[in-house]
Amino acid sequence: MKQTEVCSAIKNISKIQPAELDKTAGGYGDFEWWGLSPEAARKVMVNKSKALTDKTTTTKEAVNRFVKDGMNIAIGGFVNTRPPVSIIHEIIRHGAKDLTLSFQSNSICPELLAGAMLLYPNQVSIKRVELAWWGYEVIGIAPLLRHLNANGMIMMDDYTNYGMSARFKAAAMGIEFIPVRDHGGSSMELTNRGKMIKSPFSGKHTYLVPACYPDLGLIHATAADKFGNCRIFGAHCTCPEIAMASAHTIVTAEQIISNDNIRTYPNLTEIPFSAVDAVIEQRFGSYPGICYGHHWFDMEHILMFRSASDEFRKSGNTDKLKKYYDEYIFGCETFDDFIGKLPYKTLKKMRDLDGGQPIITA
Amino acid sequence: MSAQYTPFEMIAYTGSRVLEDNKIVFVGTGLPIIASMHAQLTHAPGLGLIFEAGPLAPIMDMGMPLSVGDTRACRKACFLKGLCGVFELTQRGHSDFAFIGGAQIDMYGNINSTFEGGTYINAKTRFPGSGGAGAMAANCEKTIAIMALEPRRFSNELDFVTSIGYGDGSPDYREKAGVSGSGPYRVITNEALFGFDEKTRRMVLLEVLPGRTADDIQKKVSFELIISPNLKEMAEPSADDLKLLREKCDPDGYFLARKLK
Repeated sequence: MKQTEVCSAIKNISKIQPAELDKTAGGYGDFEWWGLSPEAARKVMVNKSKALTDKTTTTKEAVNRFVKDGMNIAIGGFVNTRPPVSIIHEIIRHGAKDLTLSFQSNSICPELLAGAMLLYPNQVSIKRVELAWWGYEVIGIAPLLRHLNANGMIMMDDYTNYGMSARFKAAAMGIEFIPVRDHGGSSMELTNRGKMIKSPFSGKHTYLVPACYPDLGLIHATAADKFGNCRIFGAHCTCPEIAMASAHTIVTAEQIISNDNIRTYPNLTEIPFSAVDAVIEQRFGSYPGICYGHHWFDMEHILMFRSASDEFRKSGNTDKLKKYYDEYIFGCETFDDFIGKLPYKTLKKMRDLDGGQPIITA
Repeated sequence: MSAQYTPFEMIAYTGSRVLEDNKIVFVGTGLPIIASMHAQLTHAPGLGLIFEAGPLAPIMDMGMPLSVGDTRACRKACFLKGLCGVFELTQRGHSDFAFIGGAQIDMYGNINSTFEGGTYINAKTRFPGSGGAGAMAANCEKTIAIMALEPRRFSNELDFVTSIGYGDGSPDYREKAGVSGSGPYRVITNEALFGFDEKTRRMVLLEVLPGRTADDIQKKVSFELIISPNLKEMAEPSADDLKLLREKCDPDGYFLARKLK
């Protein structure tokens, strides 16, 4: 059980037994970084070339170069907004085991990885997840998360959406932890890896969450130049913080724009080139999710994948789920091949539903 | 004679009534958005919304956002950053109301949206998790919750406290927790509206659906309710309110047309 000298009165109302708390992320042994330590992350950055070099590549090359077993992979976007789906497809084709996933709220990305783990455990596996929320919002709960959790197949470390965002922000700031005004007084104070302290200034109780320094950040941006300077329109989610927290970051962009254009509006750069290691121009890179200014989400496609997942959860029948992976992931060499399988009318409808939101790319 | 309405229309309408003009409400997906849109269209045109992915005070002229980070939630906002931006505004006191849901609530307004049954490690039913709710309940000034009125949900003991309420009811629970908002304010169901007693911090029955009694409501709640000495009937939506809800707020019926389980 987590040993702290200072705590709220959560123990007065918590139902969680001490033996169970010993198995939670916060109660299990001494604190350990689930990604890099602040020192290791700084060292990686210090040792990188800061040259303005052309980092454009293919998703396959980027994933080959940066994805390794046992990594902490941070997933950008927020639920159905700008999820980095094209990179997730490639990671599943490439294979990656014993992953730690970190994100605030996501839908299809962790579900795709979870489905790959359940169907092809020798290809993909998730060891643990540090998160705030995993589901589809209006479309429903995440069936594969529910299955993994019910069967004790993954360790979960729960924070709030701000908690996870602040953890990435702390890492982007190069610090070890950050004080936040949530988690205290909730069961998360007992289960997660944060800690309550007395403020050294006022003496008041203050909750600290550890920074999250992922090995690899995955971001889909509205636009980027070939050096990795990124522009994000619509909600930023926690993408700038994730990119700057991670040891390495792969960016897919809806559109590659010129460095001249970046330099014309430097205030619009949300992620600087020095935080980015690979840039791929990938139109519809967030499909079936949303990319503001380009397209809305495809509810029918998400429903199709979700219902195949739910059927597996309820009956154990993998047929439909396997068919999805065979058709849309393993049956495709690239993400363009996947998008190429979608009817023109689907893509047009998604574009129309965005309503042509104003973005600055020229 | 009032118009016919569904349980979810009653919840949305009541949610709208609870909100105030010239305030900021931090909303979760679904009914909180619908209630806030209705309030903007009627008594609270100056109500601003925060969606947790980043926008403050957008204009929802393309219809109801289906996701709290989607295009419709961001369009024409006054300020649009990311999660850190809006949650930090909230810590600083910019959000007057949190508007959240959950699976279980106790008499002190603590809410569970993490799991039900089994253990935290191996849950019988794992829910998506806190999302923004835990942070909203901690740091928006007042928390409004929406819940279905069932004994299983209005529970004596939560499997997990995801969103802080008044904890164990002790006067300094929230201070010791290090949170900054003042806490639970209203709980909305289709049959009753609840508040909280200032002295004991326990849930108080304020209003009942016309035709229901306090006893009817108590039967659906596992803990003992305090009954307001000024118990009132809930106001019902007019035909105009229903028209707004059905035609402007949720024309596709994603939330309002659902049947109560």
